[in-house]
Amino acid sequence: MKKSKRLWPILSLLLLALLALAGCAMPVAPAAPAGESTAPAAEEPVTIQVFYPVAVDAPIAQILNGYVDAFHAANPNITVEPVFSGGYGDVKTAIQTTIEGGGKPPALAVMLATDIYDLVNAGYIAPLDNFIAASDPAYIADFLPAYMANSTYDGQTWSIPFQRSAVVLYYNADLLKEAGLEPPTDWASWAAAAQALTVREGDNVTRWGIEFSSDWPYWLFQPLAIGAGQNIVGDDPAQVFFDTQAMRDALQFYIDLSQVYQATPPGVQANWGTGPADLASGQTAMIAHSTGSLSSILKQADFEVGVMPYPGREAGTFASVPGGGNLYILDGASDAEKAAAWKFIQFLTEPERVADFSIQTGYIPNRAAAFETQAWKDYVAATPQAQAAADALQYAQAEFTVENLGEVRTILHDYIHKAINGEMSVADAMAAAQADADAALEPFRQ
Amino acid sequence: MTAFARLQRRRVSPLPYLLILPTFVFVALFTIWPMLLASYQSLFLQRLNMARYRTPTFTGFQNYVELFNDDRFHQVMHNTLIFVAGTVPVSIVLAFLFAMLVNQALRGIGVARLFFFYPTILPLVSAATIWMFFFTPDYGIFNTTLRALGYTGPQNWTGNPNLALLAVMIVSVWKNAGYYMIFYLAGLQGMPVDVYEAAALDGASGWQMLWRITFPLLRRTTLFITTIAFIGAFQTVDHIFVLTQGGPAGASTVLLYYLWEQRFEFLNVGVASALTVVLIAVLLIFTLTNFLLSERKEDAHVG
Repeated sequence: MKKSKRLWPILSLLLLALLALAGCAMPVAPAAPAGESTAPAAEEPVTIQVFYPVAVDAPIAQILNGYVDAFHAANPNITVEPVFSGGYGDVKTAIQTTIEGGGKPPALAVMLATDIYDLVNAGYIAPLDNFIAASDPAYIADFLPAYMANSTYDGQTWSIPFQRSAVVLYYNADLLKEAGLEPPTDWASWAAAAQALTVREGDNVTRWGIEFSSDWPYWLFQPLAIGAGQNIVGDDPAQVFFDTQAMRDALQFYIDLSQVYQATPPGVQANWGTGPADLASGQTAMIAHSTGSLSSILKQADFEVGVMPYPGREAGTFASVPGGGNLYILDGASDAEKAAAWKFIQFLTEPERVADFSIQTGYIPNRAAAFETQAWKDYVAATPQAQAAADALQYAQAEFTVENLGEVRTILHDYIHKAINGEMSVADAMAAAQADADAALEPFRQ
Repeated sequence: MTAFARLQRRRVSPLPYLLILPTFVFVALFTIWPMLLASYQSLFLQRLNMARYRTPTFTGFQNYVELFNDDRFHQVMHNTLIFVAGTVPVSIVLAFLFAMLVNQALRGIGVARLFFFYPTILPLVSAATIWMFFFTPDYGIFNTTLRALGYTGPQNWTGNPNLALLAVMIVSVWKNAGYYMIFYLAGLQGMPVDVYEAAALDGASGWQMLWRITFPLLRRTTLFITTIAFIGAFQTVDHIFVLTQGGPAGASTVLLYYLWEQRFEFLNVGVASALTVVLIAVLLIFTLTNFLLSERKEDAHVG
């Protein structure tokens, strides 16, 4: 008895610890969604979370918080909680693990436009058609077609463009002028300019003609294929065009830039991160990069920066491809939360706000009306490169997305790497890429 | 002691069990349960990016069959083998050398210890970002150094299929050697001084002391370090995300990275679970072998 008496405090402590542990282990069950059975009254207060990534060198959190405050002032019934969640991959993983763990996902999230098929197939997101039908038809029609190209699937619209960018070619206009060159208008003049601008001292290259990252290649390579006449994706979400003359030519052009023209370093290049700084510091005369890097390049460069779409294979043709993130409404949210999320989407995509967001971040305005705002007009008057970046979009086609995206993209990347590193010929690599991709897509065609 | 007394004795001491209970609950919840879950899920076809396979369907060992027939899996196992065989011994040898170095009573030795330990406290992702610049072609520190030494061979570390795995291995060794050094340093500091004094009196050379005294006395430390280094080698993949993304063409994809790829990129839950089981099996076999071998040695030693 004596002994057990002494044990009691320890036992109760342990019990407490266990209870605390149980509290940690059990995911806090979401409060029963009250609004699901009965239609919620418009006046009922609702709180929504927004998961968003930071993918550019801009104070996104600060900017979004400002918008949220303005939204609260206009909509006192809705509370928006922005949740910074890392990069694009982190946002997707956070949502995936939340839903599969039985938790409640946020009502709204910013994820890659190309995630659409995976998100629909996994049942994570809700279609927006009812919301769109209930709003002004001019609203949805105002978004740039190149951006909307990655928003529809199965006859429905699933996302609204938000922080969008595009692939462009940046060049050092001063160096071009010095060499007596015009900005390139086709692959031949592009390669010739890159060759002419490469500077060697003995074996050492002190300036490359062009830096063109290829360690995660699909995005920068797509405009090459488009410029050769055939995008790598079409209307069928289970079809890819890897083994085409356009893609073979695109890949060969990239290899020739180093092998024939010796204007870019040989092999697979991992210079995405250093590219903008290399251009600004004169290590390279041109880079293939995202429009999202425009403001940081302009800040660093002490020369005139030129921005243009990729020249195409034939003279006078150009090409680009969009990128970046869209706004998705999650299916796990209640109807009231979805309605609130849609309201916030519309608020975020008001023309004035789109212009402001683009000016502050370097993203391209996602809708036509934003280009007509005074703020944007003043901005491009001072920074004509921003308008040039936006203009590249008229040559853009849909960004690469497909069913089973992760696997098919890995296949494409692997064979592009093998061709660049000389392990396979361009023709063999693209034929194998097509065969493997077709096999990976086969179950999705049934 | 009679059996009854023993039983009684056991009956009146629930305290030890109670004390390990929280640990046991934690281990059961976060280690054993996920392991069982993964083994179970590995028998099902479940692909989150396919509407009709979103709910799991039982397929027996189909995921394993698929995996063992997959070229990518063979490449991954090959890479993992090289990665582990290359990083574990090198980090341990370096850890020992560092420990010997900083175990001396010299002025400023604290700074040297911090210097070797520093990589351990840096988050691997940010460290990898710095290494990315070291590996940069043309003006990265690796290439400028090599060029100064007269080497003009391949400069592209992370994009070269023959060097990418080596590059991530170098970062791995750099990251871990200082951590393992701490254990050797602790071991060295706990060494009985009298044994060395006796050996010195008997005229043993420094080399003999190292081989006959230091190494045998550090054997348990080495066993421990080998085990955590081996497990660590399978777990350290953060820098691969930054440096190579497993490329080029999968040349630097190791087991855990591939598992992540299957689970979060390809959304293939079944195959990812099968890979988890493979990972657990490999770790279990190694840890048990290592433990049993060294325990047997211990017995032989005592006997």
